[in-house]
Amino acid sequence: MTMMKLTRFGASLIAVLFAAFVLPARAETEKLSVVATFSIIGDFARVVGGDRIELRTLVGPDSDAHVYAPKPADAIALARADVVLVNGLLFEGFLQRLVEASGTSAAIVTLTDGADIVHDPDGGHYHYVNGEAIFHAAPNDPHAWQSVSNAKVYVENIARAFCTADAEGCPAYEANAAVYLDELTALGDEIRRAVDAIPEDRRVAVVAHNAFRYFERDYGVTFLAPQGVSTESEASAADVASLIREIREKRAAAVFAENISDARLVEQIASEAGLTLGGTLYSDALSPVDGPASTYVDLMRHNVSTLGAAITGN
Amino acid sequence: MRRLTLGASALAIAATLGGGVAFADEDDVTAWRLFVSDHAEPVVKVIDALDGDLLDTFKVEGPATLHRTSSGAAVFAVQGGAGEVNAIKSGIAFHDHGDHGDIDIDDAELLHVPIDGSKPAHFVEVQGNIAQWFDGEDEVRVFTEKAVLEDKLDVRTANVGAPHHGVAVPYQNHVVVSIPNPEDASKRPIGARVVDFEGNTVGEDVACPGLHGSAGSGSLYALACDTGLLLIKQEGGAPTIEHLPYASSLPEGSSSTLIGGKGLQYFIGNYGADRIVIVDPSEGENGFQLVQLPTRRVHFTVDPIRSRFAYVITEDGQLHKVDVLDGKIAQSLKVTDPYSMDGHWSDPRPRVAVAGENVIVTDPLNAKLHLVNAETFAEAGEIAVEGKPFNIVAVGGSGKVHDDDGEEAHAHSHEHAHSHGDDQIYKGYFEDSQIKDRALSDWEGDWQSVYPYLQDGTLDPVMAHKAESGEQTAEEYKAYYEVGYKTDVERITIDGDIVTFFKDGKPLKARYASDGHEILTYEKGNRGVRFIFKKVEGDADTPEYFQFSDHKIAPAKADHYHLYWGDDRAALLKEVTNWPTYYPSSLNAKEIVEEMMAH
Repeated sequence: MTMMKLTRFGASLIAVLFAAFVLPARAETEKLSVVATFSIIGDFARVVGGDRIELRTLVGPDSDAHVYAPKPADAIALARADVVLVNGLLFEGFLQRLVEASGTSAAIVTLTDGADIVHDPDGGHYHYVNGEAIFHAAPNDPHAWQSVSNAKVYVENIARAFCTADAEGCPAYEANAAVYLDELTALGDEIRRAVDAIPEDRRVAVVAHNAFRYFERDYGVTFLAPQGVSTESEASAADVASLIREIREKRAAAVFAENISDARLVEQIASEAGLTLGGTLYSDALSPVDGPASTYVDLMRHNVSTLGAAITGN
Repeated sequence: MRRLTLGASALAIAATLGGGVAFADEDDVTAWRLFVSDHAEPVVKVIDALDGDLLDTFKVEGPATLHRTSSGAAVFAVQGGAGEVNAIKSGIAFHDHGDHGDIDIDDAELLHVPIDGSKPAHFVEVQGNIAQWFDGEDEVRVFTEKAVLEDKLDVRTANVGAPHHGVAVPYQNHVVVSIPNPEDASKRPIGARVVDFEGNTVGEDVACPGLHGSAGSGSLYALACDTGLLLIKQEGGAPTIEHLPYASSLPEGSSSTLIGGKGLQYFIGNYGADRIVIVDPSEGENGFQLVQLPTRRVHFTVDPIRSRFAYVITEDGQLHKVDVLDGKIAQSLKVTDPYSMDGHWSDPRPRVAVAGENVIVTDPLNAKLHLVNAETFAEAGEIAVEGKPFNIVAVGGSGKVHDDDGEEAHAHSHEHAHSHGDDQIYKGYFEDSQIKDRALSDWEGDWQSVYPYLQDGTLDPVMAHKAESGEQTAEEYKAYYEVGYKTDVERITIDGDIVTFFKDGKPLKARYASDGHEILTYEKGNRGVRFIFKKVEGDADTPEYFQFSDHKIAPAKADHYHLYWGDDRAALLKEVTNWPTYYPSSLNAKEIVEEMMAH
C-alpha cells in the first residue's frame, strides 16, 4: 500500500493505521483462519474477530445442522483452519466424520463449555422399534444459544480461543467481545421486559421441534412440542394426539413454524388444535442477510416480538 | 468381535464434545455382512465379513447385480437376464437416537416379494423410496423399503414415455425420470423431467444428452450426461433439477457411471476409460478434479467410514486408494491377477466394497474375496467363495444393542430398552463364543413375584405409561402381562446352591446344579439365552429344571429375571408366553413401579 493511496482514502486512513499498529506481524493474507459450524456461532465469531479473521461458516442461513451434508471444500477449510468453533453437545452430527476426513490439527473449541446446560434425563425424542414407541434420551439440550446468558459464554469462549491462537490480536478480540457482551446484557433485559408484557397465563407456545427449552427456562415462556431435540425424529400420530390434549389443557396461545424445517407438521397441529400459525421462529439458524434475523441479536428480538404479537394479538 | 479402529482425531473430538459418543463406548457391537452374487449361478451368498463364515445362501432366478439401501436394512438382487428382482432383509438395522445409535442384528432373510418384469436394470433408492427401472417397460415402479421389509409390495408407477435404458429417482410424491430419445428409444436418453404418479409433468424438461449413470450423496442426487451432471434436490415440495456443466478445464469427455460420497457430499464419475473425475457440486466450475489411473478402470466405490477416500480397481489388478480432497491416488496395491477390460462388458471382473476396516475385492476367476486394510492398505486376508464371486455389497457398522430376549419383545422390551451400558446384552445377536455359563450366584438373594402387583393394580401406572408410547391400550398391556407374569410362586430365595420356592406361603426346597444354557431363536428371528439348572436333590414338589432369562448372556448379577420351571427340559424351552418375573424382595411396590417406569 502506497502513501498515495492512504492520503487519497482519507477516511480509511485512521482505520488502516490503527490496524497496522495493532497487528504489525500479520499481513492481510495471514488472517486467523476460523471455521464456524453454523450461522449463529458464525455471527459471534464475526463480531469478536472483526477483520482479523477469515471466517467460513459451514451450515448457512435457514439450514438445519441436523441434516447437513458436509462438502469436500468444508474438509479442506477445516484442514487449513487455525480455529474451529463448534457448539458441541452432539448438535453437529456431521462433525466427527468431517474432522476425521480433514485430518485437521486446528483447535476444536466447544462453545457450550461452561454454559448453563439444560440437563434433563427425560429429554429426547420418540423412536419407533417394531411399531413400539420408545423414548430416547438426549440428556443435554444443545440449543444453548437460546439463552442470552449462555450466548455470552459462547462469546467469551470465542475471545479466549482467538487470543490463544493469535496473541497479538488479543486486545482487539477482548475489546470487541466486551462491547458485544454489554449489548447482549441489554438484549437479555429487553427480552425479559417483552415477555413480562405478555399475560403470565398466556405464555404458552407450540413448536414442532423443541429447540426453545433455554428460552423457556430463562424467560418463562412454555413451549409444547411433539418431539425432542432432533429434527430427524418423526412425531407419531399418537404424539400429536397427546400434544393436542396438552395444548388444550395449557391453553396454548399459538403455533409457530421454524425457519429450518418445513411447516407441514405444525400446520397439522394448528389445524387439529384449532389454532392459527403465529409466524416463524428462528431456532437453529439465522435468516439470510435480507431476512429479519440475520444476526443473533436480531434473531432473539424477532423471536420474542413474534411470540408477543401472536399471543397478545398485537 | 472386532471394532473399528479410531483415529486419534476421532477420539480427540469425542473428548472435546464431552458427550457420550456411541463409538467410544465399550459396549458397542460391530457387525458387517457381505452379500455376494455369482457371475453364472443364481445365488446370493451372505458372508460374515468379520470371520469369513458363510451365513446363508439364497437361491434366486438368475445371476444378480446387487444394491443395498442407504439404511442397509435391505439388499436387492436385480436379475436382468431372468427378469426378476428379489429383496433380501440384511438382518442388520440401525436406529439413530441422536446421542447414540443402536444396532439390531437378526438372520438375513430372502423376502417373499419377488418383482418380475421385462429387463430389470437401474435401481435407485432415496430415503427409503425405491425406483426399480425395467428397460423393457414404459413405466417405472416405485415402492418403499419399509413395505418390502414387511414382506409387502405397495407399487406405484410413473410413466417414462417409452421403454428405454434409463433411470428414475424416487421422492415422496414425485419421480425424476429420464426422457427417451424420441428418434430411437434404444439410444441413450436425452434429458430428465419431474413427474408425479398421476401422469403429470412438473416444471420444464431438463436436457441431459447421453444420460447414463446416477448416484446419491447426502441430500443430492446426480445423473451423468454428456454435458455435465444433473443435480436433483428436494426442498419442500417437488424435486428440482439443475445442470452443472463439466468444468472448462477438463479435457473432452464425460461420465457414464457415478458413485456418491458418504459423510462428504461429492460424486465420482468415470471420465474416459482410464480417468475419473471427482466433483464437489458446491464449488461449481472449481469443483472438478481429474485423476489419471495407470490403466483402465474396472470398478470403484466410496469409503463410507473414512469419508476422505474412495477406491478404484484397475484392469492390471491394482486397487487404488483415492484421496478425494487432494484429488490424487494416495496408495496402490496389486490385489488380483489382471482382468482386461477388452471383451464383453459383462465378463466376470472384480467388484469392490467396503466393510468396516477392510476394502473387499471380489476375484471371480479365483473363487475368492481379497481383504485389504483400508488404513494400512496392506492385504488383510482372503475369503474363499465357491463359484465366481462377482457383485458385492457390504452392510454393517457399530452400534449399541439393547438387552431384549425377544420372547416378550412385543410389549415387554420397553422395560429393558434402556439398560444398555450395564452389561453386554443385546437383542438377538451375539456370537456363540460370547455366551458364558453362569453360576447360580448370579441370581443369589431373596426375590418376589411381581404378579400380585399386577393383580392389585399397583402396576397400572406402568401399563398406562406403556400405552402412552406403545401401540396397545393399557388394558391390552395388562392382559398381556397377566399371561406373562401369572404364577403361584410368590417368592424365591437362592442361597448357595439351595433354591427355595414359596408356593402359597409354603417353602419347597432343593439343591440345583448348572445344566448349561440353550440359545433360543424366536419367531421374529432374534435370539435369547436360557441358563438352565437341574435338580440334584430335594423336596419332591420342586421342579426338575428351571431356566433363567434375564437378558444377560454372561456372568453378571441379575437385577430382575424371568423364570421358567418344570420337569421337561425341552418343553420348557418352548414356553414363551408365561414368564413369571421376579424382582428383589427388598424393593417395595413403589420402587418396583419406578424401576419399571425408568426403563
